[in-house]
Amino acid sequence: MSEPIVPARSTDSGKLTVERSMETGHSLRSRSRWLGNSAASLALAILLVAALAGAVDPLHTYFTAPVDSFLLILRPAVMLGIFALGSAIVIIAGGIDLSSGSMIAFGGTTCATIMLVLDPVGMKSGAVAYGAIAAGIAGAILVGFLIGSLHAWLITVIGLPPFIATLATLVGLRSFGRAIVELITAKMAQNRLLDQSVTQINVFDHTFRSFATNLWIPVVLFLVLAILCWMLMARTVVGRRLYALGGNEQAARLSGIRTDRLKWLAYCISAMLSAIAGILYIGDQSVADPQTLGRGYELNAIAAAVVGGCSLQGGIGSIVGVVMGCLFLRTVIDGVGRVVAGGKADVYEGMIVGVVVVFAVTFNQFRQAGAGGKRYFPGLLGWIAILTLGLFSGVLLPLIMPAYAGMGVTAVFVGLLIAIKFVESRAKSPTASTRSGAGVE
Amino acid sequence: MTGPVDHISIERVSKRFPGVVALSGVSFGVRRGELHAICGENGAGKSTLMKILAGVITEYEGQLKLNGQTALFASTRDAEHAGVSIIHQELNLVEQLSVAANIFLGRELRNRFGWLDDAGMERAAGKLLRELECDVAPSQLVGSLRVGDQQLIEIAKALSIEAEILIMDEPTSALTESEVARLYRVIDRLRQRGVTILYISHKMDEIFRLADRITVLRDGRLVRSVERSAVTPRDITHLMVGRELEETKLGEGRTPAGTVLEVRGLSLPWPGHARAWRLKDISFSLRRGEILGIAGLMGAGRTELLECLFGAAPQPPAGEIWLDGRQVRFEHPAEAKQAGVALVTEDRKRLGLFAQMSVGQNITVCSLADMMSGGLISDRRERAAAAGEVSSLSVKTAGIDAAITTLSGGNQQKCIVGRWLLTKPKVLLLDDPTRGVDVGAKAELYRLMDRLCRQGLGIIVTSSELPELLTVSDRILVLCEGRLTGEFSRAEATEHRIMEAATDCEPASRG
Repeated sequence: MSEPIVPARSTDSGKLTVERSMETGHSLRSRSRWLGNSAASLALAILLVAALAGAVDPLHTYFTAPVDSFLLILRPAVMLGIFALGSAIVIIAGGIDLSSGSMIAFGGTTCATIMLVLDPVGMKSGAVAYGAIAAGIAGAILVGFLIGSLHAWLITVIGLPPFIATLATLVGLRSFGRAIVELITAKMAQNRLLDQSVTQINVFDHTFRSFATNLWIPVVLFLVLAILCWMLMARTVVGRRLYALGGNEQAARLSGIRTDRLKWLAYCISAMLSAIAGILYIGDQSVADPQTLGRGYELNAIAAAVVGGCSLQGGIGSIVGVVMGCLFLRTVIDGVGRVVAGGKADVYEGMIVGVVVVFAVTFNQFRQAGAGGKRYFPGLLGWIAILTLGLFSGVLLPLIMPAYAGMGVTAVFVGLLIAIKFVESRAKSPTASTRSGAGVE
Repeated sequence: MTGPVDHISIERVSKRFPGVVALSGVSFGVRRGELHAICGENGAGKSTLMKILAGVITEYEGQLKLNGQTALFASTRDAEHAGVSIIHQELNLVEQLSVAANIFLGRELRNRFGWLDDAGMERAAGKLLRELECDVAPSQLVGSLRVGDQQLIEIAKALSIEAEILIMDEPTSALTESEVARLYRVIDRLRQRGVTILYISHKMDEIFRLADRITVLRDGRLVRSVERSAVTPRDITHLMVGRELEETKLGEGRTPAGTVLEVRGLSLPWPGHARAWRLKDISFSLRRGEILGIAGLMGAGRTELLECLFGAAPQPPAGEIWLDGRQVRFEHPAEAKQAGVALVTEDRKRLGLFAQMSVGQNITVCSLADMMSGGLISDRRERAAAAGEVSSLSVKTAGIDAAITTLSGGNQQKCIVGRWLLTKPKVLLLDDPTRGVDVGAKAELYRLMDRLCRQGLGIIVTSSELPELLTVSDRILVLCEGRLTGEFSRAEATEHRIMEAATDCEPASRG
């Protein structure tokens, strides 16, 4: 070997001393398991949240009446769980179902409409003929199957992205449901079967009322469905193939897996579980209103699945995780409700779902990739994020607690975020921060 | 050994992945302006080392010095700033963007109004491309280019950032002979500019043609760094595997039995394309216990032909396929699998692996139906089947529960072959099975093919390396632009005759 050839460009050796950050191999592929530790850590998180809420709550309800409190959380958790199972299965299979909430409304409305048509008198008196009830329930589940099949057709045959296909039914089914109810009841009013046409159908039937009064009907139903879903996903060939489909669709097809049929199955499971939830909800609320029933629930279901460890990229997640995700979500909602609103959780529900999802996913990334060196508030974007979070807190807290206390907490909160920002920028090497330019990485 | 003139010095570098030690205390130096080849078998740690150099892996033990200065890269950008550029085996290009946009990705030129200066970028890109003998238009979409041209785009990108150190990870594995020749010329030109090149390859002829020095890794450890002039290819192979590798003598005394697969007049339409046919009028047969090689340049239709046989073609093919004396028409790979046809795909990462799954689950995914008890997957049977394949194919893994992504390319490939062997196929289709696989593992795969063939399996194998086809095949078919342009028995086949048939696309009965 002769003399080294002179390079075309002289090296700015200063550039080479790039300080090593503490970043822990975020470039490594995170190793994930089907039944990760997310279920166990969620169980722990549920207990922590409950203990904290019980301690902070002025009435200490969780400590004075633990069983009643638990049962109060259990009902919305299992109602959410029933259709969240379906959302999770679709997500694991690499899709997304945005239509769960609308499908709940449409399933419930279908059930109520069938009963109204078959037994208008019974619907009024509160004692619908069993045949009509059976027809209503069967009809709702059948409609679930048909809508799930419609999704599968739109996605696998027409070639729409799952997001678009289920977005179409998300907006379409509610207005379709309302039109059906109005048109059918108008027709019935013409024939003097009803007094007038309506936009929602009251459900006073005592069987349906028992869904509201008897907690164990939805709980047992949910447990049965959850166990079936768990068996399907964890122990059967079909389940394994759903994971494979979500993980790598091309490879799944080339492994001789009929991916289109699996998608059909996944979307049908999701829509049918939503329809079942819809049947329970119309009993729970004594009314089937196609426009408001289950509004926004699709996002709660997706949130529960994500909190429970499902990856929106598909191929990752577990049924046990989803069940725990539902319980966790409802525990946080209930706990916050107890602390700040004296038990009225629904005002803060959406907010809590949003915050919990962000935290859960961040926590998952944190656990898989480690956090060392990761900056949460870099540069200008970091300042604006601190401002936004500060505003959230500064507007809300003084209104729900004594104003001084609220401002005090906000000041501490913002101070903490700013402190984090400063610690982060200290830890980062000078080279790396000049590299990031305006600071928006 | 690592003197003051070293451009790169690697000092006691170690890297551990869960369950696997990828590198352990590796130290060596690379001189400024030399072409330094890195050799080693699968899992020897070459790719890991290169990823550390390129800032892809940022957590490791030991030190990396450039020009005697400690270099700590927090990201690939840091590495680029320091003049290090890597051309991965799997190319990192945005297929939807133009050639020029890819070359300037992240460093886009802007005109005085702050708008993107497309014309300027295209001019600059065009200049770089001409330098590289690459006659594609800078405005063309990268997705429409051949692999060889795409690779040159990556090299152009490295040139445009004035990289002083260029790492090439098996750059010729997807190239045709003429593209390889062009790449050699480009490498010569880079060396004239004084670029230090780290060159990973398994191909001895390449290494001995190009390298100044050779570093051999084995099992994550440095075996030796040597001057090329001081060694022979045989020495290097010896250092790589730690034992003498017997010349693979295969196919002796194999006696093919009756016909298992027959193809008559197979054509595959290509809608909206000038050529109208991806494959045109292809007829051949395959016997039990025979290995049929399929040669052809990129785009000749090798992969498409296998896809047709496997029911995975984008359009339904015309013509007849007879399997075991019965005519078949597969509309889905599931039907092909059921009938006893197996396909090991070309692009392992994209079309073969389930990255979220374990080694065991990747192996059993095609044959779960055989591992049931009472309608459920039997954990015991599944584990037994997976462990059986792992041991019979000697897959190097921490266990069947290890993540598939922790395995080296060759071991992943063995897992996928094992996946298909579990389906007990009659016909095994292997699409470029040794792509990105090192010498030792290649020989293992050849022996495996030989073993399976002797067990009565009919095997069709494609490869972009002619010597490989000549080693393993009983017969070789040659495709050119979707037509069958040659058929040679083992005795007749020579590299020269095959290349002639592969480049002369007039349909003719040669051979």
